[in-house]
Amino acid sequence: MFNFSKNITAWIFLSPSLLIHFIVVAIPSVLSLGLCLTDWNGFGKINYIGFENFYELFDDRVFKKAVLHNVIWTVIFLTIPIILSLTTAYLLTGIRRGQLIYRLIFFFPYMLASIISCQIWKYIFHPIHGVGNWLSQYGIDFLEKSPFALKETSLYAVAFVDGWHFWGFLVVVYITGMYQVDHTYYESAELEGATKFQKFWYITLPMIRPIFVFSLMIIIIWSIPTFDYIYILTQGGPAYSSEVLATHLYSQAFDRFNVGYSSAIGTLMFIYVLIIVSIFGILQKMGWNI
Amino acid sequence: MRLKTKIRFQDKFCSLLFLTIFFIPWVQAQTKVTWWAESNADRDPVFQKKLVDVFNSSQNEIELVMEFKENLNDILRTAMVAGEGPDIVETPGPSYVKEYQDAGLLQSMQTYSDKYGWKDLLLPWSYNAGVFDGEFYSAPKTYETMILLYNKTLFQEKGWKIPTNLNEYEDLAKNVKSSGMNVFSYGSTGWQPTHEHLAGMYLNSVAGPDNVYQGLIGEKRWDSPEFVEAIELLRKHMVDEGYWSGSLENYYSLGWDDFHAQFANRNAAMMTIGTWTFQATENGFKDISDDWDWAPFPNLTSNGGEPSFLLALGTTLSINGQSKSPDSAAKVIDFIFKNKALVLDMANDFNFGEFVIPLKYTSADFGDNVNPKVRRYLIEFAEATGKGNYGYTTWTFWPSEPGVHIWKDMEVLWAGELNAQEYMEDHEKLWSKARRKNATLPVGKR
Amino acid sequence: MEYLMNFSFRSRDQIPNYIVLTIFTAFSILPIILLFLNSIKPQEEFGVNPLGFPSTIRWENYLDAWILGEYYNIFLNTLKLVIGTLILCLFSAGLAGFSLARLKPKGSNLFLIYLLVGVSIPAQMYILPLFLMWKQMNLMNTHIGLIIIYAGLNMPFATFLIRSYMVDLPEDLFDSAKMDGANTFQTFLLIAVPLSWPVFLTTALVVGLAVWNEFLFALTFIQDQSSKPISTILFAFQSRFENDWGLVSASAVMMVAPIAILFMFFQKRFIAGLTSGATKG
Repeated sequence: MFNFSKNITAWIFLSPSLLIHFIVVAIPSVLSLGLCLTDWNGFGKINYIGFENFYELFDDRVFKKAVLHNVIWTVIFLTIPIILSLTTAYLLTGIRRGQLIYRLIFFFPYMLASIISCQIWKYIFHPIHGVGNWLSQYGIDFLEKSPFALKETSLYAVAFVDGWHFWGFLVVVYITGMYQVDHTYYESAELEGATKFQKFWYITLPMIRPIFVFSLMIIIIWSIPTFDYIYILTQGGPAYSSEVLATHLYSQAFDRFNVGYSSAIGTLMFIYVLIIVSIFGILQKMGWNI
Repeated sequence: MRLKTKIRFQDKFCSLLFLTIFFIPWVQAQTKVTWWAESNADRDPVFQKKLVDVFNSSQNEIELVMEFKENLNDILRTAMVAGEGPDIVETPGPSYVKEYQDAGLLQSMQTYSDKYGWKDLLLPWSYNAGVFDGEFYSAPKTYETMILLYNKTLFQEKGWKIPTNLNEYEDLAKNVKSSGMNVFSYGSTGWQPTHEHLAGMYLNSVAGPDNVYQGLIGEKRWDSPEFVEAIELLRKHMVDEGYWSGSLENYYSLGWDDFHAQFANRNAAMMTIGTWTFQATENGFKDISDDWDWAPFPNLTSNGGEPSFLLALGTTLSINGQSKSPDSAAKVIDFIFKNKALVLDMANDFNFGEFVIPLKYTSADFGDNVNPKVRRYLIEFAEATGKGNYGYTTWTFWPSEPGVHIWKDMEVLWAGELNAQEYMEDHEKLWSKARRKNATLPVGKR
Repeated sequence: MEYLMNFSFRSRDQIPNYIVLTIFTAFSILPIILLFLNSIKPQEEFGVNPLGFPSTIRWENYLDAWILGEYYNIFLNTLKLVIGTLILCLFSAGLAGFSLARLKPKGSNLFLIYLLVGVSIPAQMYILPLFLMWKQMNLMNTHIGLIIIYAGLNMPFATFLIRSYMVDLPEDLFDSAKMDGANTFQTFLLIAVPLSWPVFLTTALVVGLAVWNEFLFALTFIQDQSSKPISTILFAFQSRFENDWGLVSASAVMMVAPIAILFMFFQKRFIAGLTSGATKG
């Protein structure tokens, strides 16, 4: 009986956020998912067409590319920014003066709106007034052509800009965790003559595990619907070389009037998300502290 | 005495009442007509001052309100689907009109067209492009065509001439490149569909407008050799030869401002672009000694021949199916069509890059303030298209799905992941799908 | 307090740290310095001197942008949105985070999974139905309508962050409060919130930023020129004045400046809060 009333209170506490999120995200998403079996064009009659959208999707070259690019995107963000920001956060905790100013600077790019970061880097990589043209005067010509315009590099160039914007946020997240580590651990380790790396590996990393796992999770989750940077910088081009699921979905719905088809893409993304989330769920069941 | 005043008072009161009942509702009866337009810093004030204010002071029955929106297409669509939106619906072209019309969101303007005689005021091809299922649904707000700009001073210095066939075209390109310049200035950053400008030019200039017409009405497949050849030639010129801005990658990374500068700085000898460029090009050449001129994009067959002007509608005007005052909206449109002088004056403010309504102009309509290059274009365009020397742009005559395919997947072809044959086979597939779904757009008889 | 970290500081040990950190800093800050330089550059100089210091400084870019963008009004609108969202979002996410961390009701895993899924759905997918709903509920073109959307969008992140902090709060404080007869809401308000205020600050920072910078929803749900927030104005600037790098850069800087100042101001409290939270624990 006690447990029951405790559950009720707990759910009352959860209800405001649940309600808001339901109205804003869940209900319209369900409405939209319902369209995946139709050929709605966003304007008029809605016809039921069975699984035709899905059959078409499995033949869609661009869709396959987009899936691959989403995976690459996730892998990039799970490695480079994490390594960089863990290192940075750890180095930051090891200096006496100027911590504040360094942290301020690292965080700065994260405060920029996507439109601003994109504007800056588009300018820097511009073939006429960017860095590339300036460098080529000194015989360094690898940036002579804009990396956003080369199909081999476009996806990585966009990821670079997004990463540049994002990594400072990770630094702050990790440092939040590192400050919570009791410094007596380090003092005793130091007495035993541990190196910087050993202290990092045996004290810092295990102690910040909840926040570290949390960061892995948000990176995976955020990288699935990634849209802004790609849309602003390359619109998925050239030749779909930076197309991801969200931009493909958008282009189908807003350029080609295939709302039903784009809902089918959304449905598959949704299933993909469910799989990822259940993996986290299982890990948590196995006793991970997420 | 008292009685008299009382009567007088009643008298006054009654007449006041009378006025209130009959006069005030009449004042309030002014109908409001809303019109959403894509916003543009330079043009918005001109529209407000020369169209909206002039219209509103010309009568007191209708109040026209023009709202300038960023990202108009997306906002308009969501509003229309929700049963809202303005009385006058502005779209970027017939493929949008088709979707709205199919969904029953637009009102037929056939009765208004009959009543006001719009058919006789407009150039026939532009009127026909607005006829869906036998009824008039969309009126052209501006028309345009693709042209070849060249640096006139430079051409005179070097003794270069506008080519008339494929050989001359490729020779000229060779000459331009060997003098260290790019052949054409153009770029697609900021507006990816720029590729379709080039695709349309090559399809019409290489395969010929007659073939394109047959493709449009379904009598010729798009993977026929003449179309494949045209697309392959464009690929060769773009990717292998780097005609546009030196390389495919530079073409991808230059924006509006960059390619105008490149053309004006003699970093490129020519520019392939639509007539919406006039204003920007005039401005670009304002402070330099070089002069520019334009020519129709040449015929690119080996024998040569008359060049043709591609027909294109920039934006269109329709009446919202949900409009509470369609009669008044039609009156606004009619006001514009019947005011050639006002249209020309505004179009002139934009150097004929916008609001060039395809009315039947004669040379007498143009004042001295009109730029002679532009005047020559308007007159030559009318003459040539009158003789039947016209072709088709993809954004006015292609249904939405093949219309997106032609520029989006063009990049795949250029990236070498497909060849021209495969690309056009895909294209044909989307066309037959569009035909099946009855999504094709009106094409006037050739 | 803030330098009581993982080392007893010997300055020789710190030198490599400083070197690496400075390189990383350059990577982060140089592009932004370039943005600032561009914002005071006269238009003519962009062609000849794209990357360096401007030879003449033109502050008028800011004045032009201020007037063209009607920034006074715009700032007020944006502030309204940020504050409204923070109140709504932090309050409900705080309750939810507390519930998940301390009360651990049956089905809380389900709730977490639900939130995770919610974050991963691309906005492009549900924006059209949402628009139709907002139209029905007369929330279009209102700030409160957009505030509800922003609160919903940021809810999952805020909940996770607050929850993961509250999980680590010591149990005995809550137990003793309960023994003193406090009800659940009182323990939340009087114990959990004061102890976790650093995480509320962090959350407020991140959510506030997200609102300040968001433009897709702002563009769709606010159409009246007079109620538009700052991001949509910058977006409009980039397409309307595409060629005018100085003007666009100046308006970009104006969009960043208030946030930057606020962050510098909060930085100390932010960190002091974090460290005191850690040492008290």
